[in-house]
Amino acid sequence: MITLKRLGTAVAMTALLATGALAEGLYAPNLAYRTGPFAATGIPLMNGQKDYMELLNARDGGIGGILIDFDECETGYSTEKGVECYEKTKGQAIVTQPWSTGITLQVLPKTNVDQIPILAPGYGFSPMADGKVFQWAFNIPLSYWDGASILLKYLEEQGDLSGKKIAFLHLDHPFGKEPLPFMEQEAEKKGFELLPIPVGLKEMQNQSAQWLQIRRERPDYVIMWGWGAMNAGAITEAVKTKFPMENMLGVWWAGHDADLKLVGEDGRGYKSVSWSFPNPDAPIMADLKTHVVDPGKTQSDAEEMSGVFYSRGLVISMILGEGIRVAQEHAGTPEITPADLRWGLENLDITEARLEELGMTGMVPPFKTSCANHTGHSGGWILEWDGAKFVKATNLIMPDAEAIAPLEAQAAKDYAEANAPWPANDACQM
Amino acid sequence: MLYRTAGQFKTSYKADMALFPVRQDAVLLAVILALVWGVFPLLASEFAFQTLLIPILIYALAALGLNILTGYAGQLSLGTGAFMGVGAYACYKMVTLFPWMNPVVAILLSGLFSAGVGVMFGIPSLRIKGFYLAIATLAAQFFLVWLFEKWGWLYNDNASGAIQVPNLDMFGIYVAGPQASSLVQYYVVLAVVTLMTLLCINLTRGNLGRTWKATRDMDIAAELIGINLLRSKLMAFAVSSYVVGVAGALFVFMWRGAAEPNLFDIPLSFRVLFIAIIGGLGSILGNYLGAILIVGLPVVLNTLPQALGLPISSATVEHLNVMIVGALIVFFLIIEPHGLARLWALIREKLIIWPFPH
Repeated sequence: MITLKRLGTAVAMTALLATGALAEGLYAPNLAYRTGPFAATGIPLMNGQKDYMELLNARDGGIGGILIDFDECETGYSTEKGVECYEKTKGQAIVTQPWSTGITLQVLPKTNVDQIPILAPGYGFSPMADGKVFQWAFNIPLSYWDGASILLKYLEEQGDLSGKKIAFLHLDHPFGKEPLPFMEQEAEKKGFELLPIPVGLKEMQNQSAQWLQIRRERPDYVIMWGWGAMNAGAITEAVKTKFPMENMLGVWWAGHDADLKLVGEDGRGYKSVSWSFPNPDAPIMADLKTHVVDPGKTQSDAEEMSGVFYSRGLVISMILGEGIRVAQEHAGTPEITPADLRWGLENLDITEARLEELGMTGMVPPFKTSCANHTGHSGGWILEWDGAKFVKATNLIMPDAEAIAPLEAQAAKDYAEANAPWPANDACQM
Repeated sequence: MLYRTAGQFKTSYKADMALFPVRQDAVLLAVILALVWGVFPLLASEFAFQTLLIPILIYALAALGLNILTGYAGQLSLGTGAFMGVGAYACYKMVTLFPWMNPVVAILLSGLFSAGVGVMFGIPSLRIKGFYLAIATLAAQFFLVWLFEKWGWLYNDNASGAIQVPNLDMFGIYVAGPQASSLVQYYVVLAVVTLMTLLCINLTRGNLGRTWKATRDMDIAAELIGINLLRSKLMAFAVSSYVVGVAGALFVFMWRGAAEPNLFDIPLSFRVLFIAIIGGLGSILGNYLGAILIVGLPVVLNTLPQALGLPISSATVEHLNVMIVGALIVFFLIIEPHGLARLWALIREKLIIWPFPH
């Protein structure tokens, strides 16, 4: 009972907090995970995101003359903590960066009510590309279905897929199941045999059963949709069972330098699709060194900063930063609202010229969003592990928009029906 | 002083056996009820509803269900998370198959499904005891989570394999789904939890509760004085799983809004078990105290550095939080191994005889 009273004061205190004073600048929280089972992959991404905003604040004095209050709320990749962070930050935030498919699924239906944009670059729900239905959600610049399409297109370049057998090794979780509807459709169309092999969350580190199945079935290719500990598990197991590495491909989250360093030379030939690439000679890296690294404002180090994930963090913050800039120009004031930011993210036009201005040439493909297209479908590169680092193995490959669009429209429609009443953006004439 | 019982005479057996023989207890409860029904909803922000009030109530209810089985009937169970899942999936199937169904009725009915499943997995308890039974319930945990993943019909063959709560209304007000307001959800949860608590208090004080306690303390002796162990144990599994199932349905429908099978895995079972153990096995009050400590305290601790203006990074706060809560659990279990409820009972006893030491 005493504790109950203590709770009372706590509640009163948090009620005060929620209406507390605004911090300086635009509040852009990130639901980060630097702790928990996925911390190893999270930290470089979070560092990249944070350092980009630190750079803007230190070099340009923020965006449009207003500082960016880039704050982290720790989730440990737990959905429960994620929702706690969302509730804590949504009062003043101009954006939510949920950072896990689980948290995205949880927060997505609430966005129409709370009217706050979700920025989920390269993750979340693929049908979010349909901006007319998912007015507040953005998965710029590529969705998982785009990624799967690029991988299949690359494999087709290597030879006709009909009659081939492709194993789809995936995490048994909403994230891993996401590309399945698209892969099934393509398997039927292109005439290859799709062999889905789920890896349970508890089996991530020990995939001997899955790889035994792969050895028995002898697929021509293995496409991996893995995250966290699953990637290292799969790659070491593939090396152990002597699976030809050049026939193994992964999604962008399965292209983490540290996972491949475990096997080093033996991993040569492993490929991963990506919409970001580290460019150590880019002007932004020099600026980061002067304004962020040298004054000691970073939590990163030189090795991490040369990796794929750190540069992906930079790109993600660039997308947000550009969204804010476009929104400020449209609203005519630096102090934008969440609704303004949504307009900004809907009207991004990242061209080669703009990337050069930003000093990020070659770090992300150009893309353009609209009110109907919340993804941008930038296309991606296939990266290949050369034994010590990832290198670009191909030019830009574009996803098969014709195959994806009907599937997206159908899934978006189903979602809206299941969640009725779900307001659609009828003002968008595209 | 505050708790002086002198002058409170009982003139009938009925008064002696009342739920609150001491007047101060009744007053305290009235104050708490007034707080949770009237004051908190007025003061609380959206954040407080979503991270403190609603989850504490739901976790407390789940722990209450487990406590009936483990604390009162002495059957150790590690399958609570899965039984919560049965309640949640049953509720999901009911509201999607019969959209006209009243959501609160669906929540209350969904407990029946988990009660059925609970009884099925409770049958081995007739032959095995203690840790061995815990392993048998662990099997339920693994099997059910596997079933939630593999049986597409359960989640309407949704591509992501997760269940998502649709917008449900009752008399024109949204009570579940994204359109529902936190205040409405809080009152629905509070009403269901109050009802269940009342039910459980009376069950455990009555004939059935005494049968359970006898079974727990020594089942051979209980059998010798004519207690039907089969009935007693299976009733415990049924009632416990019913309450746990209702808590699971509330968990997804009134709070989370969406759930993937993995949510109902062992960590959830352990969390509920910790709440029951730290709160105090074999008590009703303990579940609430345990839930406040395990669910509420970390949230409050997380907001503290910011409220005090300390410049600590969010990740560090999280690390500190885990350490502080862990240390507190050890501390409370050292000063009172029988849980927070027993701690409160000792404090109350001291208050009654105050200022005399004995």
